[in-house]
This record gives sequence, structure tokens and C-alpha cells, in this order.
Amino acid sequence: MSIIKSKNLVHEYIRRDEEGNVESIQVALDHVNLNVEPGQFISILGHNGSGKSTFAKHINALLTPSEGTLFVDGMNVSDDEFTFAVRQTAGMVFQNPDNQIIASVVDEDVAFGPENIGVPTDEILKRVEKSLKMVGMYKYKSHSPNKLSGGQKQRVAIAGVMAMEPKCIILDEPTAMLDPDGRKDVLQAVHTLNKEKGITVILITHYMEEVVDSDYVFVMEKGKVFMEGTPREIFKDVDLLKEHSLDVPQVTLLAHELRKSGLPLPECILTREELVNSLLQIKNSGAAVTAAASQATKGGASAIKSATNELILDHVSYKYSPGTAYEVTALDDVSLSIKEGEFIGIIGHTGSGKSTLVQHLNGLIKATDGHIYYRGQDIYDKDYDIKELRTQVGMVFQYPEHQLFETTVFKDVQFGPKNQGLDEKEQIKRAYEALGLVGLPEEFYLASPFELSGGQKRRAAIAGVIAMKPNVIILDEPTAGLDPKGRDDILGMIADMHKKRGDTVILVSHSMEDVANYVDRIIVMDAGKPAFDGTPKEVFAHYKELEVMGLAAPQVTYVMNDLKAAGFDVRTDATTVEEAKEEILCYVK
Amino acid sequence: MLREITLGQYYPAESVLHSLDPRVKLFGTLIFIITLFSANNVILFGAVLITLIGIIKMSHVPFSFMVKGLRSIIILLIIAGLFNLFLTPGKTLASFWIFTISDVGLKNAVLMTSRMVLLIIGTSVMTLTTTPNQLTDGLEKSLGFMKKAGVPVHEISMMMSIALRFIPILIEETDKIMKAQMARGADFESGGLIKKAKNMVPLLVPLFVSAFRRANDLSFAMEARCYNGGEGRTKMRPLKYTSLDQRAYICIALYLIVFYSAKVIL
Repeated sequence: MSIIKSKNLVHEYIRRDEEGNVESIQVALDHVNLNVEPGQFISILGHNGSGKSTFAKHINALLTPSEGTLFVDGMNVSDDEFTFAVRQTAGMVFQNPDNQIIASVVDEDVAFGPENIGVPTDEILKRVEKSLKMVGMYKYKSHSPNKLSGGQKQRVAIAGVMAMEPKCIILDEPTAMLDPDGRKDVLQAVHTLNKEKGITVILITHYMEEVVDSDYVFVMEKGKVFMEGTPREIFKDVDLLKEHSLDVPQVTLLAHELRKSGLPLPECILTREELVNSLLQIKNSGAAVTAAASQATKGGASAIKSATNELILDHVSYKYSPGTAYEVTALDDVSLSIKEGEFIGIIGHTGSGKSTLVQHLNGLIKATDGHIYYRGQDIYDKDYDIKELRTQVGMVFQYPEHQLFETTVFKDVQFGPKNQGLDEKEQIKRAYEALGLVGLPEEFYLASPFELSGGQKRRAAIAGVIAMKPNVIILDEPTAGLDPKGRDDILGMIADMHKKRGDTVILVSHSMEDVANYVDRIIVMDAGKPAFDGTPKEVFAHYKELEVMGLAAPQVTYVMNDLKAAGFDVRTDATTVEEAKEEILCYVK
Repeated sequence: MLREITLGQYYPAESVLHSLDPRVKLFGTLIFIITLFSANNVILFGAVLITLIGIIKMSHVPFSFMVKGLRSIIILLIIAGLFNLFLTPGKTLASFWIFTISDVGLKNAVLMTSRMVLLIIGTSVMTLTTTPNQLTDGLEKSLGFMKKAGVPVHEISMMMSIALRFIPILIEETDKIMKAQMARGADFESGGLIKKAKNMVPLLVPLFVSAFRRANDLSFAMEARCYNGGEGRTKMRPLKYTSLDQRAYICIALYLIVFYSAKVIL
């Protein structure tokens, strides 16, 4: 018997005006038919707004169907009688780690569920211990959740669900707000639950890499299931996926591109091993292999035209709460120079000091030691105008849409220029320009910023900084929480803007793959120090060291290195799918 | 700067006070406050002071930690002290310009400020030795009798514990939004009172929006974990009195008896 069975499930969000008349109807789920067998690991893919979260909330009886039926372990979710039984059978983990932890101590939070369903005291203690051990968080049981990392908090949330002994666990984009390390830990915990305890898992995500190991995949769009099958079946149709702007794992994409260029590779390759083995077979089968020397060095590191130093950091150190027991060295003797017009990626895992570093550049944080020079002037000089510096070095924070506050988008963008003391006419001109640069359609200019979609809000917020016409723009994790399409759009927009304005752009991120395609220079931060600094090719050559730091090089870098190890005489410095394809073709054809 | 707020902070340590039932501590604090405000001469006041010093010694919490709580209200203390000092009528002790200090005023000022100081230190002994959850549990249990009168005791204590959980998160968020707006040239420091208040809008609007979003998320998360009010809930660590708590109650009773007998005699 299936554990989850939906038949023609429809859900409509109905908006009513003050008199209760229907204003608009938004169909979030449109006749969804879906079956899940016990013990399966299921993934649901889709964009933001495709209806996947709405569907998840139905499985947990948080929403009830407008039409159609949904059975969870034989219980109809529309039946009020079963509400709590359904929630106990199918536990749910949400996206934001902070907003789902109720108690101020880890074990008390895990106990929250069992307490609610009236489990006796001795049994609660046993369950809490067991669940925390399952996700590897037992040693943190008396910690405050505020002291944990995002990945750890998500594992506590999973333990909280497990303590209710569900048959099925639904995870609604559990890794969207985590760094690569946290993602890995959370996924590992979920896979263990599935394999060892036989828990049915429904993973909702927009990261394709997370889907590869699941038993069955549903792809949703506009409230409908538009593709379903095993991961292999789904990723077979790379072109269709791309058409719907869904991501494909880099390895699969590379294999697909190679096939298109005429290499006899099998259809749908999901892992590195498969690709390397298939290529080896082709090589051994005597396909014409020319030992042609690898292509001549391509453009390589793009030379920076002007050599003017925009920003110089001279032995900068920063300590939180110096002189107390809580002293933490966030930056440790950092010396760097950033040239005018450079496009730089700063990469590091959470706590590596990357955010602290960039907040120094516009004087939001003052170094405990060392000097910072902007265009030759020491910003810590007594008579230096720090407010002026902030207009020269613009800073877009993580989740910048959280700082929108005005009644209209346009007014919000005007806020910066207004603070600069510009006259009204200039403010309006600047706002227009900035909104144009970020590509926000004009119909939204006078809308309330809170009515925009996630990606549009982010554009509006970025425009708010650009309107100040800074010479340097710093963006802290500009793609956090966006789906692949939103991510590509924003990064494309930033690159485009860089080209148009010729300004210095600093992109802070923990995703190597995002950054590799766009920037000229990468600075890897680790433990408050720059560990590597160079072109993407130079930096990714250290892919083994990067892994130790909790960062991963792009998948293609691994593929090229694997190929080399398997006896292919290829260069290993490809950082994008395009480059890897050229390199392999060059060798194998 | 915002990180230094020590509201409801717990100091983990091993002590008799830490292992007491929160209800005992709540009751003890109440008795302490009552006696503090009925002590009207030096001897009684000294007795309260000595008791407090003894309790602080027992708590194993460094004294500097307790005084920290005072720092935030020092201005309030000074103002209250000065008002009492200058504005109480009585026999004039000294006078200069438009100010006069009376004997009653001097006495009141000293008594008032020292009472406030002891009050704050006394209550922070309780919060420093009790985890927020224990505290709300204790409140819920000790105020349970009010449930019959229709007071939603469980809901109030749940609200308190959620508030305590989210205070540090919202403080961090405030810090972040403040920085983000400063990066857009916002100024939170200069200007008069009205201008300052106006300048807070770019900080407060996003903060409220975010608080509502979090509240929405949290309510889903709580429902998903079968939360349905206080009915039928069990506890992982139910409050149970031990012999230690009994002895503490006896001590508190003895203290109360001794204090009031002394008050009657003196």
C-alpha cells in the first residue's frame, strides 16, 4: 500500500477583499497525482512557486485540498479526525533553521513534539536521546540553538521530527540556507534515516546534485507534475530540463555536451565514476585518439587594464570581544590589494571571516589592527569622511530584500541618493538608472516592495545600492535562497552590470560553481586568512586543499583530475563545462 | 553594542541554587522583595543585605556578572536618587542656588537607591541560576491556580519562552539591518529626538516585517509538530520537589519569621 497517495489534488489560494468577495484565485496545485511507496527516497524538484511547498504542506495537514484527495498512510488529510495522526505519521522539516526551533536548549526542542502528543516522561527522554544520536547531535544536547551552525540546527530539527516516530519525513528545501558543509551533513543524516530506519523521505529541493541518489523524482511546474521517473530517466532529457531552466548536475551536463559533439557515450551519466569509465572505454576501444597536445593557452587570466589600486588592506586584524574570554579572531593579519575594475570572488565557508572582511572595506567594522586605504587614503584617518566612503564602496548584504522598507520600490531605491544629499531631480534620475540596470520591469516601480517575488525583491534591493553610484560594489551571498533560475539571472545581471559600468565588483559566496563562471580572481578565506588568491584556474588547482576547508571545487575540476589519474593526458585546469568539453574533445577525437 | 544586553541571561554553574526547583526560587524572590521593602531601619536593612550576600556566595556566579545588570539602569537610579534628594520636604540640611537637601530627602534617597540596587541584584540571582525554560515552567505551575479564573497561563508562559528564544535572533537581525541601512547612508546617531525617531523607520519597518515572517514560519512549525495548546501535554522534565526544595522552603519560612519578629521587637 502506498504511504502517500494523491488523486487529482487541487489547491487554490483565494484572495478576498474586505467584504469577503473573491478578488483573485491562484491555482497552486493543479490536479496532482502522485504515489509514494513506504521506504522510498523521493525528491520533488521545481522552481520557487511551482507548488512543491504547497504540496508538502498538504502531506502534513497544514493545508487542506480544495479538490481531490490525499491519503497519508491510509488516512484522508481532509478529515479533521486524523489531523494529528497525519502530522505524527508524516513529520515536516522547514527551510529556515531558526524559525522552527521552539526551545532555548537543544534537547528541550527535540522533546517538544513528543510532549505535544502526550508521550510519558521516561519515554520522552529515551526518544530524545535516540533521535539526537541518529543525526549525530547528541553531544550538543544542552547547547543553545543560537550557538549552532545552520547545518546543525537543521539536524536538530530533523531529530525533533524523528522523536515523534514518524513513518515518513518531508523536508522542504532543508539545505537552501546552508553552506556546502552543512548541506552535506544534513543530506547524510537524511540518507541514513532512509537506509537504516526505513523512513520514507520526501526531499523538496532545487539542487540537482541532491536528487541523484533518490529512488524516484517528481518535477513540478505551475502546480503540475510535468516529469517523473528515476533520476536517470529524468536527467536523460537534458534539453527539456534546460528549457524549463532547471539545473542539471555538471557531470551530466558535460556528458550530454560530449554526446552532442559525437562521442559515443551512454545516455544519462550521473556520477564522475561513470563518466570517467565510459571515456576510458572509448579510449581503449581504439576510437581515434590523437595525442594532440592540449590546445594552446586560451585567453587565460584576463589582464587587468588599469593597475590602479582601489583598495589596499595592510596587515588588517579583527577580533570580536577583545580582552574577554569570548575573544574570537575573525581576521588574522590580512594584506590584500584590490585593483580598479576587477571582478573578484571571495569564497569561504561560514565563519571563515569572509563577511567580516568585506564589512571592513566600507568602514562598517573597524579593524582592531592594521590599515585600510581607499584610493590612497587611510580610511582610519581622523578627518576621513566615512559616510562618503560608504557611498563609494557600496555594500549589498545577504538577503538584501529584508531591508526594504518604503511604500514603493522607487522610493526605496531613492533612499540612498537622498541620504547622499542629492536634489530630488538627481535622486529620481539615479533611481531610474539603477532600476534599469538591475532589469526590474517598469510596472513594478510604483508597487510596494513587499508584493514582489523573491528574485524581484532582490533586484530592487540591489538597485538601492547601485543608485548611490559606488565605484566598488560588494555583494554578500547575492544568490542565497534563490532557485537555479533566479541564481543565474542575478549572477548574469551582476556580470552584465560589471561590463556596463566597469566598476570593481566583489562577490562573496560559498559556491565555487557560481563564482567560477564569472570572476577574474578568487580569494579563498580560511580561518580569517586568505588561503589562496589567484585566477579561478590557479585556485581550483588546489582542489584537494579546498575540500579540507569544507569547500568544493566545481565538479568538472574533479572530472578532469579523475581523467588524468585514469591515464588521460588532459590539462586539469578547466573550471567550466564548456572548457572541459573542449579539452576532452581535443584529446579524444 | 547590542550584544551586551543581558536580559534573562543564564549563567551555567553547579550550585545549590542552580539545582533548586524554579518555584522555590520564584517564591524566595517574592519573599526577598517583600522584606526588602518593609525593612525601614538600618538593622533590618543590614539583615536583608547579609542574606543576599550569603545567597550570592551560594550561587557560584561571579559578582561582576550580577553588577552588569545594573549598568543599563544606572541613569535611572541617579535620576530617582536626585529627585528624592532635592524634592522631598523636611528639615533643611543644606541648600545652594535653588536646591535644598532635607533630612528626609537624604534618607529617602539613600534608602530608595539601595533598595533598587538590591532589588535588581536579587532578581538577577534568580534569572542567572534558572534557565529560561525552567523559569517559564515554574511560572506556569505556580500560577496554575489562575487558570480557573480564565487566565491563559500556559499560553502566556509559552509566549514568554518563545520571546526569550527569539530575543538574541532579533538583536542580531537589528544589527544587520542597521548596518545595511548605514551602507545606504542612513544615520542613526545624529539629529534631535524627532529626527532620530524618524530615522528609525528604515530600521523598524524591516524588523517588524521580519518578525511577522518568523512568527508565521514558527506557527507552521509548531503545528507540524502537533502543538495544540496545553491540554494533554506531557513534560520531558516535569517539575518535582526534592528534599532540597523542602529544606529551602523551611529556610525561607524561618527567614520570614525571624525578619518580622525582629521588625516587631525593634
